[in-house]
Amino acid sequence: MTFLALIKGTIQEAIAKKIILGFFALSSIIILIFLILVNTDSIEGMVEMMQASGEGGMKEVIVGFEVLIVNLSYLFIITISLIAVSSFIPSMVEKGNIDLLLSKPVSRFEILMGKFVGGIALIFINLAYLIVSIWLILSIKSGFWHFQFLYTIIWLTVSFAVIYSMVILLGLTTQSTILTAIITLFLVLIVTPLLGAREGIAEMFKNDVIKFVLDFFYYILPKPGGINDISMRMLTDQPIESWQPLITSLLFMLTMLTLSVYYFKKKDY
Amino acid sequence: MPVISTKNLRKEYQSKSFSKEKIVALKDFSFEVNSGEIIGLLGPNGAGKTTLIKILLGIVFATDGEAKVFDQPISKEDYKKKVGYLPENHKYPNYLKGGQVLEYFGRLSGLDENTIKAKSREYLALFGIEKWDKTSIKKYSKGMMQRLGLAQSMMNDPELLFLDEPTDGVDPVGRKHIRDVLLHYKSRGKTIFINSHLLSEVELICDRVAILNKGELIRQGTIDEITNTGNNYKFITSDLSDELSNSLLMQYKAALRGKTEFMYSTESVEELNKLIDLLRSKGILIHNISLERNSLENMFINLVGEEQNQI
Repeated sequence: MTFLALIKGTIQEAIAKKIILGFFALSSIIILIFLILVNTDSIEGMVEMMQASGEGGMKEVIVGFEVLIVNLSYLFIITISLIAVSSFIPSMVEKGNIDLLLSKPVSRFEILMGKFVGGIALIFINLAYLIVSIWLILSIKSGFWHFQFLYTIIWLTVSFAVIYSMVILLGLTTQSTILTAIITLFLVLIVTPLLGAREGIAEMFKNDVIKFVLDFFYYILPKPGGINDISMRMLTDQPIESWQPLITSLLFMLTMLTLSVYYFKKKDY
Repeated sequence: MPVISTKNLRKEYQSKSFSKEKIVALKDFSFEVNSGEIIGLLGPNGAGKTTLIKILLGIVFATDGEAKVFDQPISKEDYKKKVGYLPENHKYPNYLKGGQVLEYFGRLSGLDENTIKAKSREYLALFGIEKWDKTSIKKYSKGMMQRLGLAQSMMNDPELLFLDEPTDGVDPVGRKHIRDVLLHYKSRGKTIFINSHLLSEVELICDRVAILNKGELIRQGTIDEITNTGNNYKFITSDLSDELSNSLLMQYKAALRGKTEFMYSTESVEELNKLIDLLRSKGILIHNISLERNSLENMFINLVGEEQNQI
């Protein structure tokens, strides 16, 4: 009951801050553009041609559209949604608000998890709205029901959860929305892609120490891009080369959450 | 069984991040609060009052010592089901409406939906803000926020109520209303712990006060015990002659306040009567004799002032 109240409170906060409205509007624009696009003469002609050529050709076109949508959603998750949720923790620990929360018969662990699960629920609902809508449009239009596409909702939510765990720790320690957003964006948009290309960088320097440092940070930091890659491979029926990005990212999330809970449990407010 | 008991409670804060220098907010603080009383915690700014409340609510952790609420160690969350709290400068999520604030914190207190609805209505009406329950709290005045805060603190019908500056920002009529509500609440056997700067208010409703200064408990007792400075009698008489005034001054150590008023301090009723006999024998008319009490404010200023002078 109290845990649900905390989750509901987080979603209520997102509604009040117009985050949900923003997400809904953005997703609706994408859906609308997509709807217009698939109804253009050229696309309709292409669909008819593919239908005539058999299921294989049709699948290729459909998956192509799905890959486009997943990439757009991924970009949305690692940018806009992260900025939107980075205020959740700093506003929670504001003086006058946190005192009240902690005076209630709810453990600090539950309070933090309420924010975490609430944030994830928020993104999940939005992704489900976007992807299910696109899936329905594509399926109805083509007559090809590609259920694999729906799994990307889970994969994208996992990518978000991994980064959100870092947002929680940063929010608790810095108590600043701007700092939290800047550090997270820096890590996700600059550091992790660079580390993804670490082998090329190490090759340039030809230095073992640099290679070790790059490898070290690559393995300890999250890899949302790697998770997205796994998701794409599953969507396009390609073999998955390594689960390592998912495993290390989940370990990173677990570490971030453990540190957050530890910090929050020890902190005086 | 006391509702609150603390033993050698100590709290140290780091003066700055990464600094070894400590600020002591509470020093070996030991005291007890009994069931059904209103206790006022007084002290100048930085005396450690809010720190004490925060320790008792598990918001801040004690560096040393022991604290129990309802005989339970404060490390457990369970006792909070029977506790209500109004923090100083409380800040509710400003996107909520008045009624939603009560619903949200009611749920966090573990209340079911029916109780939340019933209690919301009851307390919004009690504090006169029932017409504003569907209004965003962004539009609330300071006084309305304070009333909402009080309603929130009472939602779970707590056995123990912590109020940090409960009448802050409330007009005199509103303050009187809040005092009446608190006295009624006390009459139901509830315990109220008030932290306030408004000493005149504390004097009006508290059974007992504890005075803190620089983290130390410097005095505690009932209002009478704190304010009674011995048997000080105030005499109002007809004009006193110079001879009689001298006699009062030298023999009776009276403190003269003009020709018709003086203060006389004695523990003995016989001595008091002797003085009355003397005055009457000299043909002095006695208009009034009253036992004087120090105001809590004067007492507080004297006590805290003395402490500061000692430093």
